Amino acid sequence: MNQKKPAQIDRDQRMATDWEDYLKAYYDKPQSTRTWSGYEVKEIYTPKDRANQVYEKEIGDAGEFPFTRGIHRDMFRGRYWTRREVVGIGSPADTHERAAFCFEQGGSGLNTIADVTYEMGLDPDHPWAQNEVGLTGVNISSMKDMETLVGEIPLDKVSWSLITASPTASATMAQYVAVAQDKGYDIGTLRGSIQNDPIHFRYCGFRPACPLDLSIKLGSDVMEFCTKNMPKWYYTTVNMYDLREQGITAPQEVAFGFGIAMCYMDELLRRGLHIDDFAPRFTFYVSAHIDFFEEIAKIRAARRMWARLMKDRYGAKDPRSMQFRFAVHTAGCSLVPQQPLNNLVRISFEALAAVLGGVQSLHCCSYDEPMCLPTEKGHLQALRTQQIIAYETGVTNVADPLGGSYFVESLTDKLEQEALKIMKQVDEMGGMEEAIRREWLDRQFNEEGVKRQKELDRGDKLVVGVNIFTSEPETSTPLGVQRIPEFSTRQQIEDVKRLKQSRDARKVSEAIRRLRDAAAQGRNTIPAMIEATKAYATTAELLGTVRQVYGYSYDPMNVIESPFS
Amino acid sequence: MRSKRKIRVIISKVGLDGHDRGSKVVAALLREAGMEVVYLGMYQTPEGIVQAAIDEDVDVIGVSYLSGEHLVYTPQIVEEMKENGLDDVLFLVGGSFPPEDIPVMREMGADEVFRGGSLTDSFVNYIRQNVRHQD
Repeated sequence: MNQKKPAQIDRDQRMATDWEDYLKAYYDKPQSTRTWSGYEVKEIYTPKDRANQVYEKEIGDAGEFPFTRGIHRDMFRGRYWTRREVVGIGSPADTHERAAFCFEQGGSGLNTIADVTYEMGLDPDHPWAQNEVGLTGVNISSMKDMETLVGEIPLDKVSWSLITASPTASATMAQYVAVAQDKGYDIGTLRGSIQNDPIHFRYCGFRPACPLDLSIKLGSDVMEFCTKNMPKWYYTTVNMYDLREQGITAPQEVAFGFGIAMCYMDELLRRGLHIDDFAPRFTFYVSAHIDFFEEIAKIRAARRMWARLMKDRYGAKDPRSMQFRFAVHTAGCSLVPQQPLNNLVRISFEALAAVLGGVQSLHCCSYDEPMCLPTEKGHLQALRTQQIIAYETGVTNVADPLGGSYFVESLTDKLEQEALKIMKQVDEMGGMEEAIRREWLDRQFNEEGVKRQKELDRGDKLVVGVNIFTSEPETSTPLGVQRIPEFSTRQQIEDVKRLKQSRDARKVSEAIRRLRDAAAQGRNTIPAMIEATKAYATTAELLGTVRQVYGYSYDPMNVIESPFS
Repeated sequence: MRSKRKIRVIISKVGLDGHDRGSKVVAALLREAGMEVVYLGMYQTPEGIVQAAIDEDVDVIGVSYLSGEHLVYTPQIVEEMKENGLDDVLFLVGGSFPPEDIPVMREMGADEVFRGGSLTDSFVNYIRQNVRHQD
């Protein structure tokens, strides 16, 4: 009798199980019929699902109130969204180089992100900073660094998005204006945006740098200064994206983001500005997560909600105040290190949702973000993803192509209702400031994060490579790893030490004294910050000085003392 | 009769990295799995973490990195643990880092490394099976 060899037996057994798997795959169907945020959806949507809708009132054409379908009549026929990749790596020179690379490859806007030391308001020579300078963004400690970052880029032509969110945004604005003025620009011509949303950064690891009163004070100082001096500048980008990354749902993202925006708007109204003075300059940073239709519906719902909020609650008259302007960041937390090239596919779907939602400016994540900062190849692929959507797919020809879909309109209504419910709950607590003080918002984030992990554990949410279609762990990153040059970190530390020794000490002290006076007298601090920056005061010195006036330690980490008497 | 002592774990961030969603979620899930968790949170130093491990008499130190600081702090924590004689304490790392660095961190002295996308069973079971001084 012909004995089978062991290898043959193995293969036969494997084939037997494989055919079982084949049959299972063949007959497989969705396990869950819920959206990512947990809403059960029906098998099919029909005209009955929209029976009570009045088109002009609930939806309207693109460019018409309530802007459900988009803020411009012609949408992308007028101009594509800004293709803007976030760049922030090592030193200002390293970051400038990568930004220039993105421009060379067809990027249409700049987006530079601060590193953790800069966001915390620490100079690179701070004992806590030395291991971390430039790891997660660009480090700027003085006007000199901002000059290096800007280089030859024409500030009146290029739309620059400065991602500094903490109270450090006030220093960033001062540094940017100081450099622009030094280069001879009229600051009224500067185009771009600054994130300047310190409240949200309490929830993203920067709490020591973001006490609530100081967050509202300095955030609003930037807004007020720009309202009066920089008419083309968008001076706050309320960061709903970072909130979503904590694991919350789509309607929570909108409701929490709007609640935070209202904290700033209420302060600006208290300062005597009119809603139409500033609402047109408010923008939002929105997540595009992996549930395609839910994300599109979320964006459409947010537009309608914002229009009504501005008109009905704040009494805005200018239609521009009612237009929800937003940038999208595809969801970093939807990406995984397992089978990392799959992330390219996830990013494509998320970016497509953003575009179909009518986005103004888009950052696609790099596929390698669950492993390291974006490599040059990662950045390029992210930009190419945007360009393929813009130039190849044809989805840009028609405004809001999904408008009128029985399903998408119904889901838009659902997300609006859910977000409004949460906003009502916040109102009943006494508003978002109060909800923050009571740590209600902290509890929301903590609870939702745990829920998301349990959904993965149970298989309620499936992620390829994580809890379905898994494979052996990778041993390398497909397109290489981005590392921060040690040289850059050391150089930043040496540079700031040298600057502090070489500048005119008397000039700095006097400028710091004037900043302290402005803060103590309740005046807007930005003009004094600009002057101090021109005297080569550093980031930590600007912010520390204002912190002290507000009764906080000079140093958020409480290690070093103010060098000024 | 002695009641069985619960496994005691420290979960911490180190340095300035503010990405704490993962560490908070892991802390909550280990508690639900019946362990006692001391959550140190953000802005910890290697010395501070090891001192807390001694004070709290823990079996496991878990540290989460998401800002590319893992190759700086991992050897510092291992060194502190050695200096303080914590040979019987497991040292686990979690977070975002290149797969190339996982063997490097093991070589440096991390007992096990968990990437993003790890399921709860994987780290709960690892701790139960490898914790060194169980009664």
